[in-house]
Amino acid sequence: MLPKFAYVRPDNLKEAVEKLSAEGAMVHAGGTDLLGCLRDDVLDAGTLVSISAIKDLRGIRKTENGGLRIGALTTITEVSRHRLVNQKYKGLAQGASEVASPQLRNQGTIGGNLCQKPRCWYYRGEFHCLRKGGTECFAAEGENTFHCIFGSDSICFIVHPSDTAPNLAALDAEVNITGPKGKRTVKVEDFHVLPADDVMRDTVLAPGEIVTEIIVPPVKHGLRSSYRKIKARRSWDFALAGVALALVFDGDKVTDGRVVFSGAAPVPWRSREVESAIIGNILDGKTIRTAAEASVKGAEPLAKNEYKIGMFQGMMTEELEKIARAEE
Amino acid sequence: MKKEQEIYYTKDVPVPETPEPGTEPEPWGKTRIIGERVPRVDGYERVSGSAVYPSDVMLPGMIHGAILRSPYPHAVVKSVNIEKARNMPGVRAAISMDSPGADLQWPYNKEVSTKLFDPRCLFEGETIAAVAAETPYQAMDAIKAIKVEYDVKPFVVDERKALKSGSVEVHEGGNRLKTATHERGDVEKGFAEADEVVEKTFRTECEIQTPLELHGCVANWDGDRLTVWESTQGVYSVQSKVAQVLKMPLSKVRIIGHYMGGGFGSKLNASKYTIIGALLAKASAKPVKMFLTREDAYIAVGNRPPSNMTVKMGVKKDGTLTAIQLKGNATGGAYPAGGTALIDWLFRDLYTCENVRTEMTDVYINAGPARPFRAPGHPQGSWALEQMMDMLAQKINIDPVQIRLKNIPKVSQAREGNPPYTSTGLEECLRKGAETFGWDRARKEAEANNKKDGHIKRGVGMGGCVWIVGGGGPPSTVVVKYFSDGSVNLNMGASDIGTGTKTVMALVVAEELGVKPSVIQIENADTGTTQYATPSGGSKTVPTEAPTVRNACIDAKQQILKMAAEDLGLDVEDRDAEDLRFEGEKVVSKSDPSKSVKIKEIKKLNKRGLVMGIGYRGPNPENKTVNPFAAQFCEVEVNTRTGEVKVLRFLGAHDSGRVMDRLTYDNQVFGGITMGIGFGMTEWRVLDDGQTGKMLNKNWHDYKLPTALDVPMDMTCVPIELHDHEANNTGAKGLGEPVTIPTAGAIANAVNHATGLRFTDTPINPIFVSRMQDKTRAAEKAGKEALSKEARNKEEG
Ligand SMILES: Cc1cc2nc3c(=O)[nH]c(=O)nc-3n(C[C@H](O)[C@H](O)[C@H](O)COP(=O)(O)OP(=O)(O)OC[C@H]3O[C@@H](n4cnc5c(N)ncnc54)[C@H](O)[C@@H]3O)c2cc1C
Ligand code: SF4
Repeated sequence: MLPKFAYVRPDNLKEAVEKLSAEGAMVHAGGTDLLGCLRDDVLDAGTLVSISAIKDLRGIRKTENGGLRIGALTTITEVSRHRLVNQKYKGLAQGASEVASPQLRNQGTIGGNLCQKPRCWYYRGEFHCLRKGGTECFAAEGENTFHCIFGSDSICFIVHPSDTAPNLAALDAEVNITGPKGKRTVKVEDFHVLPADDVMRDTVLAPGEIVTEIIVPPVKHGLRSSYRKIKARRSWDFALAGVALALVFDGDKVTDGRVVFSGAAPVPWRSREVESAIIGNILDGKTIRTAAEASVKGAEPLAKNEYKIGMFQGMMTEELEKIARAEE
Repeated sequence: MKKEQEIYYTKDVPVPETPEPGTEPEPWGKTRIIGERVPRVDGYERVSGSAVYPSDVMLPGMIHGAILRSPYPHAVVKSVNIEKARNMPGVRAAISMDSPGADLQWPYNKEVSTKLFDPRCLFEGETIAAVAAETPYQAMDAIKAIKVEYDVKPFVVDERKALKSGSVEVHEGGNRLKTATHERGDVEKGFAEADEVVEKTFRTECEIQTPLELHGCVANWDGDRLTVWESTQGVYSVQSKVAQVLKMPLSKVRIIGHYMGGGFGSKLNASKYTIIGALLAKASAKPVKMFLTREDAYIAVGNRPPSNMTVKMGVKKDGTLTAIQLKGNATGGAYPAGGTALIDWLFRDLYTCENVRTEMTDVYINAGPARPFRAPGHPQGSWALEQMMDMLAQKINIDPVQIRLKNIPKVSQAREGNPPYTSTGLEECLRKGAETFGWDRARKEAEANNKKDGHIKRGVGMGGCVWIVGGGGPPSTVVVKYFSDGSVNLNMGASDIGTGTKTVMALVVAEELGVKPSVIQIENADTGTTQYATPSGGSKTVPTEAPTVRNACIDAKQQILKMAAEDLGLDVEDRDAEDLRFEGEKVVSKSDPSKSVKIKEIKKLNKRGLVMGIGYRGPNPENKTVNPFAAQFCEVEVNTRTGEVKVLRFLGAHDSGRVMDRLTYDNQVFGGITMGIGFGMTEWRVLDDGQTGKMLNKNWHDYKLPTALDVPMDMTCVPIELHDHEANNTGAKGLGEPVTIPTAGAIANAVNHATGLRFTDTPINPIFVSRMQDKTRAAEKAGKEALSKEARNKEEG
């Protein structure tokens, strides 16, 4: 059952920011994650500030320099179907279409997708764990099949649930934020918070701050991007392992690019190990083998998620072989 | 077996019969509407939302109940304080173990019962107290305000650990509830005679029913009469349990369940919530809606028990089975709930074998009690048996279909006296299924693909089955009212649990009385107004009710024909009436077609308004058994790098006797396969074994039911329609359960065909596949190392 809360729906950003200064106020976009968290007692909110009436936050358009501006309220479905996204940023389109189910994609927004809460079943269940202000992490010694292999710092073992964030990070996108202190811009890569920095925070957003838009830079010549996600069932499921590739090719050679994992770490996880294994190289069998091995270098599997090691390697191999053959 | 029959129907009751014994109707010859593709008679109501399910029921003044449940898998309640809750806004009633009238016994079986609110909480989700308030929100708030002092105890939630010495005891005296053994022949002799012997241990995970409509009811008192709208598979079974627990006369308990949104066995009977709903309604003097939350439904109202099975089988080179041995355990949770029930049945009955020994131990753990789940025990047993059959076939190098064909029994080996089946289509299911599927070619193509380098492998697998019941049986009573305008009202107690019961019964009426389905109105599932029926379960509703409906129609028809004979001046006492037959809207003489009378003009019928035909379900044939059979075939694709398995296509060849309605038939086959895919590939209950013992995935996201994408588009249903005139007067056998029995084992066999890996544990998802590959790689590596070490040793030596 939902707890009691007040609900406001301002039609402009300024007022929304003001309303967010109320005690326990939270942003309500599509509500697909937020309402679940409220119902399950994960969060408590004094006031929900719906941003759904703020028209400026909707829609996708080209930026002056040829990149994309995606309003925070744009639905996941819109992102996945948008012509420009599909033409130029295939990985992002694939990432968006891998999110949840059609219903959730129709209702959920890209801003909300970046800001969603983790899916650890202890956190979502009746367990007062570290991330909820408790004193222990239940996943460390418990049922951690779905948990992370990187970045936990042995504090909290969630995997970041978003399928769009790894792609945005791979594309070097930025998030525009408006808050009580004005505007600022943060790279998607730096938007999420590692447990070592603050186990109770998921994003760098300060109280009262709203994500207004996401800016994707223009496509570099020779860019190929893709997203691959492995799930326990074939739809409506989060990543067991996933990878966003945004690689710049010169002929057969990878000259630049990023590799970002989902299902791996508490934040979208940039694999510099894979990047350095492939950048400057042709994606031949040897490079791909090296890259696959590099993908799990430094991984710290838990008692029940060791399978992710082989899975990431297998996925990496498959995806690099595929992108080597892909068209721009 | 006895237990199943107790649930689904009563054996050996003398029953009245219509028509008179010995005057059994002829089997239908060519049918007009039976077997056609007829859409659901209540499809519009269900789809449009106008059908009122129990969870839709709104009564004037109705309030909402909520139940406080134990958050611990094992605890003793020291005290419960409901005073604060009672005084909260909107709260109209609050009850706990100390409340007057709430000190009731809840029976699990004849020997074991607990209190309705028992201080000993042996599983997470045990009931502790309940409230009713004006809104669901107020009720939930009040629940949270109840103060409970618990003495939290250590727990055990894994049956394998529960059997070890020194384990926490769920009940005093140990966790071994009982061991059921069956033996025929001499397995040791059988193994000695075998050319090949295979032994392997299998495990199936706990699967949970998760019907779309939650468990619950609306309860209302009118003086001393209780009416309950319950989401149930059987209104009469709920009536008897409610009357028993509340110590009321049956006549004062009315249960209504016109529509219900699925149960899969978990709604065969009343639950504690039914009683709690009634108590809250009484205490508040208001109608109370008492529905569970989804989380509660996951932990408290049933599951398919997890099982562990070590199987050893012997085979001769020609495929003859020489011995089958099953040893293992399973758990029905914290109370006796059939943890091992029927897991052994397929081992004992499906394939011919003289030497069989089974031994299954039912174990207590601190988890929610099991309940019958679509084909109880069978999918678990099938998972192991069908994989064993394939392993034996590999050993002796024969085809999986062939080894099964080699071992088709003519009689039921597991039953006393080895009665023959009234019909057995196992062989045809295997042959026709394989042929339609293109088995041989698909196997060869997959093998050719797998010889290539690629990491995407293909596999083709299959499995066969029998279902222990599915013949139906007495008792059942049905009333057909034939109105003077030729329209018909069918009155029966059976529930339509989403399987199309109403549609099938309308077709029986239409077939027998020659009326259009559109003029048939069905009243069902109401103990106040409809006739006695056993709950819809055991795949017995069609073979039980359809013959009964047919009998009722024949009874009405005989009366009408007599009336028509009078109008036509024929001698009723003579056999003239037999010369008449129904023909659409009139009654016509067979010998002289010019003699006819319109039904609407039959004088006596017009005066009387209607004719009432009564049908009873007659007895089953003596010394024979009625069972459905099946074989399913599938093709899968395995990504050996990532562990992803995709089911490409499925085919179900089913011998369930006559096809009554082809649409509901296909619907069952595809639905059963879908559920089998869930059992074999996606579903498993996760308990926080090492820490809290609580269920971690009690929601629809973490408990993974198969989605549309997990199920292939390419599904084929091949009915094997044998003419079984002995089973009953419609020739239909049960279908709803066999459809889900061989599915998971067939998938495991296909995945083995693709990868060479044997998946002994459910579910076959990328996690488990990757783990298995890791294990295999590690073993290979260890093997290689051992080999090279040996080589080195040799060199050195
Ligand atoms: C069953 C289920 C399965 C799912 N599966 C997947 C999946 O496979 N992959 C995946 O990527 N996602 C998945 N999701 C998550 C889903 O994509 C998100 O719920 C959705 O994108 C969130 O968008 P929303 O607009 O509904 O956010 P809301 O629910 O409205 O908000 C989510 C959170 O973000 C905050 N927020 C929202 N918008 C802003 C903003 N503009 N500025 C600041 N804060 C904001 C809210 O305060 C809240 O904390 C799943 C969700 C569910 C319920
Ligand atoms: S992994 Fe993180 S969210 Fe999950 S239990 Fe541990 S601290 Fe809580």
